[in-house]
Amino acid sequence: MIRFAESVKIAFQSLASNKLRAFLTMLGIIIGVGAVVAMMSIGYGAQESVLSSVQDIGSNMIIVTPGNQDEEQQGFERMLGEDKDRDALTIDDVKVIEKEAEFLNGAAPAILNASIVSYLNKNTRASVYASDEEAESIYNFKVQDGRFYNASDVKNTSNVALVGQTVINKIFGKIEPIGKIIKIDGKNFTIIGTIEPKGTDQFGNDQDNSVTIPITTAQQKLYGIDYVNMIIAQSTTEDNIDEASEEVERILRKAHNLRPGQSNDFTVRNQTQLVDVLGTITNIFTITISSIAGIALLVGGIGIMNIMLVSVTERTREIGIRKAVGAKNKDILLQFLTESVVLSITGGVMGIAFAVIVSIILNRFTILTTSITLFPIILALSFSTVVGLFFGIYPAMRAARLNPIEALRYE
Amino acid sequence: MNEVKNSCSNNCIIDITGVSKIYKLGKVQVVALRGVDLKIREGEFVAIMGPSGSGKSTLMNIIGCLDIPDNGIYLLENTDVSELNDNQLAEIRNKKIGFVFQTFNLLSRSNAIENIELPLIYSKKTAGKNRKAKITDSLDAVRLKGWEKHRPSELSGGQRQRVAIARALVNDPAIILADEPTGNLDSVTGEEIMAIFQELNNQGKTILIVTHELDIARHTSRIIYLRDGLIFKEEIIKEPVSARQMLKTMPKLEDKIKGG
Repeated sequence: MIRFAESVKIAFQSLASNKLRAFLTMLGIIIGVGAVVAMMSIGYGAQESVLSSVQDIGSNMIIVTPGNQDEEQQGFERMLGEDKDRDALTIDDVKVIEKEAEFLNGAAPAILNASIVSYLNKNTRASVYASDEEAESIYNFKVQDGRFYNASDVKNTSNVALVGQTVINKIFGKIEPIGKIIKIDGKNFTIIGTIEPKGTDQFGNDQDNSVTIPITTAQQKLYGIDYVNMIIAQSTTEDNIDEASEEVERILRKAHNLRPGQSNDFTVRNQTQLVDVLGTITNIFTITISSIAGIALLVGGIGIMNIMLVSVTERTREIGIRKAVGAKNKDILLQFLTESVVLSITGGVMGIAFAVIVSIILNRFTILTTSITLFPIILALSFSTVVGLFFGIYPAMRAARLNPIEALRYE
Repeated sequence: MNEVKNSCSNNCIIDITGVSKIYKLGKVQVVALRGVDLKIREGEFVAIMGPSGSGKSTLMNIIGCLDIPDNGIYLLENTDVSELNDNQLAEIRNKKIGFVFQTFNLLSRSNAIENIELPLIYSKKTAGKNRKAKITDSLDAVRLKGWEKHRPSELSGGQRQRVAIARALVNDPAIILADEPTGNLDSVTGEEIMAIFQELNNQGKTILIVTHELDIARHTSRIIYLRDGLIFKEEIIKEPVSARQMLKTMPKLEDKIKGG
């Protein structure tokens, strides 16, 4: 029996003698493996950054949004513009929750919008976060200079604002912002503080391109509404987050006078559920990628099989010579099988190298965070080995079965 | 069986009795061999001659263990090889047979050394030092020192055939089978190849060549004439032509180039 090292050597020799053909054959595998490993690195990167930002906020956050997101027709009605429950949550709900809940540290309402923010002749478009004094701890706003708005600012609908670093850079430049008056949607606001930079979030949004104002001011003076976009609550510990969520639901049902059997006009979500949703999204992503990978590897494998069949025919005489000097059927089988596996593994390795390069480039020059882990690499290598074996076995068997006399006579 | 064994003396390498072979080409049956008896003793240099279709290729294939007979017995060094399977035949070919072909049949991508090494790759026992020594010995025997790293395309026809002979020798086989070894060579180079065969034979190698040139056959000590699948004549050559002597009388290629 021929030694394995010997057949690997022969395989590399024969591939090296036809480099372009070998490369073109491998291209299918290279693209398949490369695409999968690159996509998975993007997926893992996104997952990691989402998870880390979830952990940043703290895993005891409960988010209440208006409308019942568990009911399908809701989405359909929303599409038709019949957003019937969008005014379901109010500042009064926040007060009730804060008063009655046992498992909560606190709760804060929020209105999110985007507006033109200007100082003198400079203006920029920024996110406007409106909330109450509790937001400082619950939203994790860290004040850099100055102060956060307090309960009396909220009560008196004061025109005060805190600005993020990007806004400062855009409209103030080197000017000290605190005490200056800016315009948000044309209304004057006095700057009472600045917020510590947070960087970009997992979706690439600049979190520092923002201003925050008291929610009452936003409702009455900017938007003319009496509802809020969402309520953020914080459970006392990470362990009782599910009890806390149930408690919030119970309090809100009572406050909204919902009878038993009547469905919620709001949705309560907590971080664990968000992580679950994230897991589901990741699974869908993985399944999609796996299907693409499967198709790519199948196509690559057929390419390998095709070229191996050509190779067996071309090298009929070589097979005859080898058999004449004593090669057994299994020696020939091993030789050709090794060649197809070497072809597919080399393709796999090149694909991985390609993916690593792409991932590094994406990481450095785009907002995408990528993460190369061992798992997709091992997966890609084992799959390309299997492809090489599976699509190589038939050509190798054809080679092994050749009659030496006829093979030697082959022109 | 016993009778057959007794009829051949101890130093008998090939002992073929009543061997026949029929090929089926579609519905037509072609009788290639119809009961051939042939004995070749150790150290003999034998030529098989015959017109095409006489069955000499089939006989060579059977002797070379590339094929098995339909009927009859073939003893190779007292081992019955007429009913072995593919793997066993491959092993016999590896250990006991050295092939030399008309078209050289070298691996074009491999250099001289790698071509000579080929039978050793498929042999269990030879590894490392032993392997190198065997290759060097074979190279010396065909006087190809200095050409180790050359590929077949960088060698002349005669050199290629010498690489092929070295490959046939490397596993120290019981017999060397040469199928028209000079068929693709000019007469001078052909003589040189025959000179190597004669040297090897003088050192004790058993050699069997198939040829249709009587001039070449006359270098051996016995000519077997094959016709219609049967041996119809045998001729003992009392004084074989010496290739060395012939070469002295022939104008050398180098001389021609120098002179012209």
